Amino acid sequence: MRDIAEWLNRTPPSVWIQSSFWFIRLLQATHLLTAGVVSVSGLMIALRILGLMRADEPFETVWRRFAPWLSSGLVVMVSTGLLQTLGDPVREFTSTSYWLKMVLLVTGITLTVLSGRRLRSAPAGERFPVAAAIGAAALVLLWLAIVMLGRMIAYDRAIWGSLSLRA
Amino acid sequence: MSSEDLLGAIEHSTPAEWMRGAVAAMPIVESVHVLAAVTVLGTLLIVDLRLLGLLELREAPRALTRVSRELLPLAWLAFGAAVVTGSLMFSTSAHSYFFNTAFRLKMLALLCAGLNMAVFQLVTFRGVASWDVNALPPRAARVAGAVSLLLWASVVLLGRWIGFTKGYDFSIPDGVDLGFH
Repeated sequence: MRDIAEWLNRTPPSVWIQSSFWFIRLLQATHLLTAGVVSVSGLMIALRILGLMRADEPFETVWRRFAPWLSSGLVVMVSTGLLQTLGDPVREFTSTSYWLKMVLLVTGITLTVLSGRRLRSAPAGERFPVAAAIGAAALVLLWLAIVMLGRMIAYDRAIWGSLSLRA
Repeated sequence: MSSEDLLGAIEHSTPAEWMRGAVAAMPIVESVHVLAAVTVLGTLLIVDLRLLGLLELREAPRALTRVSRELLPLAWLAFGAAVVTGSLMFSTSAHSYFFNTAFRLKMLALLCAGLNMAVFQLVTFRGVASWDVNALPPRAARVAGAVSLLLWASVVLLGRWIGFTKGYDFSIPDGVDLGFH
């Protein structure tokens, strides 16, 4: 993995991003702002399944309000995230937090899409099955963890100790 | 007590010593701060977009009072967490934060966001009963929403900017100019 990261680090796009003072800052700032849009949109959908937010509205309505923000935010977030990875591949690929974040992100997206497909036809006020509630509670934790892990990438050894890929 | 004395006392306080001494303290506190900040931004974004008439479905606009009542407790909870974690971060190197331009601008943006919220609550929100369920609120409410959106985004961006201009190397002795300004 380190070899791939070091090869990527020498490619012209990576070198350009590394040498660009403003571009990397713009990427990080955009990534952070969209983190707010994505995580809170994801939270709203998960909290609706749990019956803690907009329980009087059909799930379909809540989905139609927040899913477009979630998906378009994700497009921006994944793009800016990939470009940041390209700009500093060794730092990212040797971070336990980075890989954990990627696994949780894929899980979070998959769980949200599955919830959307399964529950969209449910009427207002209907209680969802226990499995859906467990999935939604997991989603709340996932969105919170994804945001925190993003910040933790910078401190991999302090957080993970001997489990850090940088150790 | 001069501001110099106060900053020194903050830097030598028990929480500051603890933050500097525990290896994982800063990363964890900073991560919670980021999480709290994006939660404040995201929840207020929903309220602000409702004020701007941009979030709710045209055929079924949700009452603004309802949207506020549902989201403001979460926003305040996250804001409280951001203040606690932010204060802990500030205590570790109060001098360099205090003189950091991005930090000062962030505090100014926070103050303006608070004033905007106060004016909205005390003036515009008083007549909410007449436009609570309107898909498009009146101009004063839309302006308050747009200003709030810009200010909270600035708070988060300026917070990120502090990280670009200020290091967290505790081994650097006090009084050394690191060129943060």
